[in-house]
This record gives sequence, C-alpha cells and structure tokens, in this order.
Amino acid sequence: MNALSPLERKLASAAQTSLLDVRDLHTHFLTDTGTVKAVNGVSFQIGRGERVAIVGESGSGKSAMAMSLLRLLAYPGKVVSGQINLDGRDLNQMSERQLNQIRGGEVGTIFQDPMSSLDPVMKISNQMVPPIMRHLRISREKALAEAISWLDRVGIPDAARRIDGYPFEMSGGMRQRVMIAMALSCKPQLVIADEPTTALDVTIQAQIVELLRELTEETGTAMIFITHDLGLVARFAHKVGVMYAGKLVEFGPVKDIFAHPSHPYTQSLLDTIPPVDQPERRRLAQIPGFPPDMKVPVVGCAFKERCAAAHKQCFETAPKLSSRGPGHTAACWRPEGLGTARHLNAELVPSMVSNTEDPVVVEIFNLHKHFVGRSVLPWRVPPTVRAVNGISLSIRKGETLGVVGESGCGKSTVARLLLGLDPATSGDIYVEGMAQMVFQDPASSFNPKMKLSDIIGEPLVVTGWGTRAERGDRIRELLTQVGLDEGYMQRYPSQLSGGQRQRVAIARALALKPSVVVADEPTSALDVSVRAQIINLMVDLKHQLRVSFVFISHDLLTVSYISDRIAVMYLGEVVEYGLTDEVFRNPTHPYTQALIAAVPIPDPVAEEARTKKPLSGELPSPLNLPLGCAFASRCPKATDYCRAEKPALRALSPTRDTACHYAN
Amino acid sequence: MTQEAIVLPSRRPFDLAWLHQNGIVRALGNRRIQLALAILGPILFLTVFRPLLPIQGPLQTNLREMMQPPSFQHLFGTDKMGRDLVSRTLAGVQISVFVGFAVAALALVLGLVMGTLAGFFGGIIDRVMMTITDIFLAFPSLLLAIGLVSVLGTGMVPVVLAISLSDVPRFIRLQRSLVLSLRTRAYIDAARTVKASQLWLMTRHIIPNTVAPLLVAASIAAANAILVEAGLSFLGLGIMPPAPSLGNLIRDGQSYLEQAWWISTLPGAVILLIAISLHFLSDGIRQVLDPRSHK
Amino acid sequence: MLTYSFKRLAQLFVTILGVVTLVFFTMRMIPGDPISAMAGDNLSGAALDQMREQMGLTEPLLLQYLKYLGSIAMLDFGNTVTTKLPIVQLILGALPVTVTIAVGTILLTVLISIPLGTLAAYMAHKGNRALDNIITGAAMVLDLMPSFWTSLVCLLVFSLVLGWFPASGMVSLDDPGQLLRRVTLPIVVLSMAQIATMARITRTSVLEVLNEDYVRTARSMGWSELRVLFRHALKNAALPIVTVVGLSFGNLLNGTVIVEFIFTLPGIGNLLVGGINSRDYQMVQTLILFYAMIFVVINFATDLIYRVFDPRVQF
Repeated sequence: MNALSPLERKLASAAQTSLLDVRDLHTHFLTDTGTVKAVNGVSFQIGRGERVAIVGESGSGKSAMAMSLLRLLAYPGKVVSGQINLDGRDLNQMSERQLNQIRGGEVGTIFQDPMSSLDPVMKISNQMVPPIMRHLRISREKALAEAISWLDRVGIPDAARRIDGYPFEMSGGMRQRVMIAMALSCKPQLVIADEPTTALDVTIQAQIVELLRELTEETGTAMIFITHDLGLVARFAHKVGVMYAGKLVEFGPVKDIFAHPSHPYTQSLLDTIPPVDQPERRRLAQIPGFPPDMKVPVVGCAFKERCAAAHKQCFETAPKLSSRGPGHTAACWRPEGLGTARHLNAELVPSMVSNTEDPVVVEIFNLHKHFVGRSVLPWRVPPTVRAVNGISLSIRKGETLGVVGESGCGKSTVARLLLGLDPATSGDIYVEGMAQMVFQDPASSFNPKMKLSDIIGEPLVVTGWGTRAERGDRIRELLTQVGLDEGYMQRYPSQLSGGQRQRVAIARALALKPSVVVADEPTSALDVSVRAQIINLMVDLKHQLRVSFVFISHDLLTVSYISDRIAVMYLGEVVEYGLTDEVFRNPTHPYTQALIAAVPIPDPVAEEARTKKPLSGELPSPLNLPLGCAFASRCPKATDYCRAEKPALRALSPTRDTACHYAN
Repeated sequence: MTQEAIVLPSRRPFDLAWLHQNGIVRALGNRRIQLALAILGPILFLTVFRPLLPIQGPLQTNLREMMQPPSFQHLFGTDKMGRDLVSRTLAGVQISVFVGFAVAALALVLGLVMGTLAGFFGGIIDRVMMTITDIFLAFPSLLLAIGLVSVLGTGMVPVVLAISLSDVPRFIRLQRSLVLSLRTRAYIDAARTVKASQLWLMTRHIIPNTVAPLLVAASIAAANAILVEAGLSFLGLGIMPPAPSLGNLIRDGQSYLEQAWWISTLPGAVILLIAISLHFLSDGIRQVLDPRSHK
Repeated sequence: MLTYSFKRLAQLFVTILGVVTLVFFTMRMIPGDPISAMAGDNLSGAALDQMREQMGLTEPLLLQYLKYLGSIAMLDFGNTVTTKLPIVQLILGALPVTVTIAVGTILLTVLISIPLGTLAAYMAHKGNRALDNIITGAAMVLDLMPSFWTSLVCLLVFSLVLGWFPASGMVSLDDPGQLLRRVTLPIVVLSMAQIATMARITRTSVLEVLNEDYVRTARSMGWSELRVLFRHALKNAALPIVTVVGLSFGNLLNGTVIVEFIFTLPGIGNLLVGGINSRDYQMVQTLILFYAMIFVVINFATDLIYRVFDPRVQF
C-alpha cells in the first residue's frame, strides 16, 4: 500500500470520530438485461448528530445507496462490496440476525410515500409497540406509553386514542409523522430519510422538515436525508453530497457548496433552479443530453458528454474526489469546474410588461363546480364537494397566469372547466379562440399505439384542418418549434424520454394555434435539469407566438419565474391575485405569506435568516366548508370576525386583489 | 433496411416500427410464445393434413384389430371397434379447435362491443348490462352449459352457444373495466379538447388499447372452452357419437379402463397439451405487453 | 356495515330473481314443451294432455311464471316426473355426499395451496426463480388437466392397478370408514385443480404484498423476514385470497358433477346427470337453480367476510 496522501490521512482520522463511515460502497442490480451498477464506489462519513443530505436526479443511485446501508434493497439489488462502519462495526459483514438488531434500533428509516409505508390492516399500536419492546427491552405497558409520547411529540393530536386507529384514518402528513415517530422511537443514533417529504404539499413539507430538524437536534440523532430538492438541502442540512451516475461527485459543508460549487454537475444543478426575487430574469441553465446507461461501464468521467468544460483527460480517466477546501471535495479534473463557461447561456429573458391594451382572451366570472356525491340513504342530503367556489379571472393575450395552491385547492378543476372537459355548476367562461392543454403525467398523455405524427396531427385531423400534405408540413413546423427534428414523426411515445414527451405535448397543444394553453403541472414529473429545458421552451414560445399560458403548479419558484400574474387558490377560491413579482415580494394574504415562507430556497444563508414557523394544521375537508373565511382554521391572525364573515376578493391596489379582512 | 426506406419512412409498405411497437417482433422472441407455438404448431399441422396421412379414417372400423395397444402402426392404439385412435384424436382436435376458436371469437366480439358500450356510455345501459351479466355469472360455467345443452339439444352449435354464454359476460366485464380505466387517460381528454367525436375516441383511442388484454383473455377462454366441450361430450351432452370429439373418446374408453387404458388416457393428454400451450400463449402475450417486463 | 349489507342483499335478491326467471323461461324454450320432450313417442296424446293439465302447462305463460315464483318462495320445487318423489327430498338426500366432497376439497386445498403459494412467492421475491418456476409450472399443469381425465387416470392407477381405493360400492353416511375410502380419490382429483388455482392466487397476492412499501418498513424496524411474511404479507394477502376462494367455488361445483358421475357417488351432480338422461326437466331446472343459489350465496358470504375483516372498508 502506498503512503497515505494528506487527504486520505485526514479522512482516516475523521473515521475515528465519525458515527457512520461508508467506504467504497458498490451496489448492483442484477437484471435480466444486464447488471446495473447503481452505486459505484461511494465513500463518505457522518459525524454524530450531523445532518447530511444526498442530492441527485432520478437514477443517480441515491436511494439505492441509502437502502444499501441497511441492506433493505429488494431483489435484484445487492450490495456487492464496501464497508459500512457504524460506530466501528461493519454492517456489511453482519448476518441478517445481527443486522436486525441495528435496523430500527440503532438506525431508523423514514420512507418516501407515507400513504403506502404503513401496514394498512394493522393498528398503529401494533406497528409501533413491538419494535420498542424489542429494541429497548421494556414491557408492553412501558412501550405503549413510550409510543404514545412519541406520537404526541410528532404532533399527532389525541395520540392516546389515535394509536389504536388504522393508518387509513389519517392524512398523508399525519402518516408521515407516525413514520417519524416509529423511526425515532427506539432512540436510534442515525436516521435514514429517503425523500420523506416528496409526496407532501409544500406547507406540510415545511412542517415535517421542521419537525425532523427539531427532533434530531433534541435527541442528537444523525441523519442521512435523500432528496432531489436543493432548496430543502439548503434549509436543512449541515453537509451535502451530490450524486451522479452512482458516484458522489461533490461533498462538503452546505454553505460552502452552495457558495462555491466546484463540480460542473453541481454548478449546473444550482443554475437550473429559477432564482427568487430578482429584478430581471435570465434563461435557466440546461444540462444537455442524458445520464449514462448504468449497465455499460463508464470510461473517464461519467458527466463528460454533458459538460461544457470537458477536455481530453475527462474522456480517459475518471476523476477521484479531491479537496476543494476544508471538508469540501469534488471529483473533477478542473479545479473551477465549468469556470467561466458556467454562465455562458444565461442570457436575459426580455421582460413582458403586461399591456392593458392587449385583448382579453379568457374571462371567467363567478365560476362554481360542485361535485355532488351519492347519499347512502335517499332522504339524506348528499355530500357536496365545492371544488371551485366562485372564481373570477381574466387573461390577456400573451400573458401567463400562474395558479398556485396545495393539492385539493381546485386548481386542476379550474383547468378542466376552462377546457370544457367538465361542465361548470354555475358561472361563465369565455374563451376567445381555443384553449388547449398540456398534462402533468407524460406517461398517460399519449395513446401508446399512435405515432407522434398521428398524435400531433390528431387535432388537425379531427377538426378537418387542411389537406394531408398541409398537415404534414404543420406537424414538421410544430416539431421544430418545440426543438425536435422531423425524425421523431415516426416514433412512438414509449421511445421518448420524459422531457421529449412534454415537448410533444406542447406541440400537440399548439397545433391548432390556440389562444391559451393550460399547463397543469407540466414539469412536476421531470427531473430538475429537464424541467429547466421545458421552462425555457415555454418562455420562448410565449415570446415567439404571443400565446397565453395558464401555468398550474405547486412549485412556487417555477411559477414565479414563468408567470406574469399569479392567482393563489385555497379551497376552491382565489385568495390573492396580482402581478407575480409584487405578490412574491409583498404577499398580503396570510396564506400567500405562509406558502412563500414554506418554499425552501436554494441558499443556505438566506434560509438561515428566514422565519421557521411553518403554517400549522392541514387543509380542512372541502365537504363542509366553514361559514366565514376558509383559511381561518389555519390562519395565525384569524379573529372571530373572520370565522363569521367571509372576506370577498377586493382590490388593494390597481394590480392586486386579496380576500382578507385585515390585508392592507 | 434499404437506403430508400430511411429516406421515405412514411411510405414503407412493411412498417418495422409498427411491428415493433405492437410487439409482434418481441412476441416471436418470447420464450413462452415460442414454446406454445412449438406444441400447437405440429398438432395443428397434423390435424389439418390428417386426410393425407397414411392412417385409417376416424370413423373407419376394423374388427380384426379391436383394442390394440399402442404400436408403431397405431401410435395411440385402437378402440373397441378397431378404429385408429391417432386418427380419431386428430379429428377430435379439429372439433376442439373449432369449438375453442368459435367460443373465443364470439366472446371477444360480443365482449368488445357490449363492454365498450357499457363502459363508455355508463348510465342505464351500463346498469342493465351489469345486472344481466351478474345473472349469467351466478351459474357455475359447466352447469350453465349443461342446463343450456339440455334445452338446446346436443351438437356443435348448441355446445358453442352454451359455452359462450358464460364467457361473454366475463368478456363484457373485462372490456368494461378496461374502458373505464382508459376513459380517464389524459390523451382522451386531449382529444376531447378538440371536440373529437365519441366514435373517434372509441375507435382510435379506446378499442386499440383494449385489444391486447382481450387477446390474452381470449386464448385462456379458448383453452377453457376446449376443456368444457370435452367435459360435456364426456357426460354425453356435447357432440354426439360417433363424431370423434375428444370427450367422446375418453367416454368410450371409460368402460374399458382396465383392459385398454390407452383409449381414455392418450386423447386426454392431447387435450392437456393444447390447453397448456394456449396458456403459454396467453402468458407470453401478457409478458410482451407488460411494460415492466421490458425496457 | 348495515347499509352496505342491505344494498348488497338487495342486489343479491335481484340476481336470484334474474336467475329464477332465466331458468324458468329457458326451460319453456324447449321446442314443443317439456312434457312432449320428456315423453318422447311413448305416450298417447290424451295422456300427454292430462300431464300438461296436471303440471299447469296449459295456463298462460305469465301465470305459470308467477305461480312458479310463488312455489319457489315456499321452497316447493315439485315432484320428479319419473318417480313422482318430491325433488327437495331427493336433493336433501344427495346433498351430504356433495357437501362432504366439497368441504373435503376446500380443506385439502387450503392446507396445501396456501403454504405452497406463500413459499413460491417468497422464493420469487428473493430472486430464487427455480423453485418458483417449478411450483407455478406444476400449478398450471394441474389446473389445466381436465378433471374427468384426471379422475379416470387416478381410477386406473389407484383403484384398478394398485387397488387402494374401491372404484364403486355403497356410500352411506352411517359408515364413515367406507365413505372416506369412497370420497378420497374424488377429493384428491378435485383438489388438484383447486390447489393449482389457489396456489397461484396466493403466490400473486403474497408477492404483490412483499413488494409493498410497508413490508420494507417492517424490515427497517428490524423484523426478520419470516415474521414479516406471516405478520404482514399473509395478513394483507388473505383478503384477495378469500375472494378467490369464493369465486373458485364455481369451478368446484362444476367438478363435483364430473367426479360424482365417474366415481358413481350419489350426490346432487349424479342426480343432475340422471335427470338429463331421463329428460326430467323439472329435476334439471331445480338442480341448476340450486347450484346457482349455492354459488351466489357463497360469493355473497365471501364478499361480506372480506369487508368485515378489512378495516379500510368503512360503512
């Protein structure tokens, strides 16, 4: 063995004190079509009480790495080699029986989807109490008391009663709280959280993140936090590791990495996120190409094909992690990463001042949509969900309206009403020309049996547009507009990536030259780098074609980047409506304020300065809406007046409407 | 692929991409489908070309060679009237295949039409259709067939009808559930935003995507129909002797089980082989269509 | 729960009414009428007319139908045409044999197929394809063997060649030993197909559950694979399995007809075949109705059981 380099010596000494020391971990998935090297030599350390975030896009191997630590991978995944030292014991050498003492006891785990992570036919108590009895070696009574106190600590109201309930009786946020209570209940030294908030709404996400932070700090538990959301990393982590193609490409203290990212991939990732609160808008960075196929051995750096700064050495030898500062390492041959190439494409986006001269293309007046259920007994009043409860909006030509709100606020219903897919209960919708749609789920957006030329051409054929040849020309023109070449005409949807599918969806929506395109969460199924491409495309189309967009999303950063105006929805009503920049800079409705505060921004210094008090409570049932303000049950400023009297949407200024008695 | 094919992809008469997309190429590469074809192929081949084979006809008796055990001359032996059992089995397969195909086709077509209507339009059509299928599905399938055959009489047409009557409701249900799940797909909504007609939605978007799962079910229904026909004939309620239905062959041998085991057992084994290969076929189709099985 | 049961009961009533109606009108579809079909050419015109009069066949169809509904509601199914015995009495006499076979088959099936299916699922989950393929392959072959053929092969091997079980002989409930010897082979034959179906369903359900997130959660809390398999996987998989038990009961009923015929057991299946052969339509009609009722009621029961044991179903 060669003499240790200074860095390696430092790592070795860190290992003496660290809680978890992972060295050269390799995990493979032995599939029928080849071996997928999902984790390809990952090493890192975590100190006691430290929160380490691992970020990466889908397929980067971050979840496989996390599951490898406790050997929780499902077949055909297998930890092939490496050391996983927890407190000096190598978990990878342990038998299943020994490992079962660690799982749940010394290391707790929190999974992504709270809806499916608890056994549906087992009472919460039966899922929580036996592990406590086993790992802490205490009696059933004591374990039950312990479980109840944990449920109480994670904020389950009436814990002593709820523990005898079943998971289906709880909301997603509540179930994730139960998961956290379970994971922490046996006093672990380490918690592995695999995208614990991805399935949750932004206000609930803020609650859960805050809860995790408080509890791990109180108990001194260390934490590995797997996520794709750089904002969460900035809000939450002490250290961050960036994974790409099965390897850590950068690792270091969170502030350092966000201030001085040195791997081209980290740099690009940070640049793909729409910035907050900037006077002008620049094009988002795009990462060209696709991640490498993990079944094929990678020669050189895995990122080379997508890297603007790649040179000869990158194609020959894979770079190892090397020091970039105290505790900060990156795997790149170039010390500066992209360096000056980083902001090459960040040209300014011409601002579109909304022009009151432009004609109104969409006018919605007092729109209602009520879903009437079927009552069990004929003489009872059937339950009614007021999904859309009196909405008035207008959109001018070339304007982009962003609609934000949590799931269940009625934003998708508004879209369906606008497109005429569902009939409105009452109210008026006026559309000048035609409305078309881009859907959220790229998988079900296209008939799998149709070629792209037939898919894009369908609106033309159905409406009898032009001759066959003219339609062919139009399809080619549309493909070019969305940045795809003619060769795609003969392809089938299954042969496309997620980003390409959304391009095709946009092309289909534009086929008949609609006056407005409704995009319902068009980017939420996409990875961040692809998301930036689609957002850039939509911004381009908006300028080129002067088409209006309705951009519906729960992702406030994206909405704020792309929209001219924004409507904030809560329980079927618009609570605030105005120019995007103004609303973001100075939100007047308490719900808007809470939403914006809940959005994590990818800047650890700014995050530190923000208030951390998340909005309490959850969305009330839309079945029986309160008499007064719908938001009163969660509003910190609510008074009796709010609960009795419903505030109307009123103009605070020429460009701002708010539905709050106390806004000014 | 020739140079021209690349230049003019849309005029390609033989569209490789289409074949690929529709799984035909993948299907032929699938193990189970290969296995199914390897069993079914020779059986069907021999059945079709039976008249040309150097064996006596299925109804031809030969009183000098009664109840002969399997030999080189009579591979399956002969029965109590000296009829060659290979010949009779192949003739029986012909009947079986006809019944299987007819039942599957009937179930497929009626299921497709009625299931699509019920699933697509819902409302009163759907309710009536579901109540009727409920009634038919209340009978165990063989017993429904027995009841109907006892009314309609024996013979090929009554047997096919009787067996179909328990399969058609199943197919209606299947098609209906497929349509219901497809009806909410985003691409249907996309077509609706440009005011595509109901007929367009059904024929372009819904039916093409239900054909494949229906085919999976149809190959199982065919196997099942072959088994039920044999069962009916065995009970004396199906195809009437002397027509050599496989069920009749087995029934014939029942009384001579001890003296001539081959009369019942060998034709039965052929039924089993056909049923197994049809199941392999359906399994194979399912695998080819399952998005998780290939990437 | 009560409202659901009520709704389901109403549905059951509609189905049963439909079944009765279907059976009644189908039997009236026989070319000519049941009497002439039954009698063939043996009876004179006057005698036929007399029989028609007796059975009320000269009345208007609708009236016949209503009377039929009335008598069924009173559980009066009439007499057989040939022996003039009350059909209900015949069915009750034959029922114990059929029930013995059916219950025996269900017990044997559950005892063998659930462990087998669970094992196959567990092996498949662990990536041990060999054992899983053997079990699923064997299940498929067993499932597809025509039961009349399997019966004959078993009869040949175990009764005629090995002589372990009698091929024929008296069946009486008073002699359990004899009864057991006579019903063992039929039960084994019927179980083969049932085991195949059930093992396959068990495998699919358990495998599906093993891939669920909550199984991983249980593993992450440090529980051994066996405990997870029994405490979580089987418990969750049990619900779909129960439904399939109900549905495969139809196949079981199909099978009893065949094995009773081959093994000459005096159950209701044999009554049915006898009824058809003697063209006793009254008998056939009643028996088909009876089978359908059993099937419908069993499915109704499994559906309710499913709902009682699934805490997610709210009433």
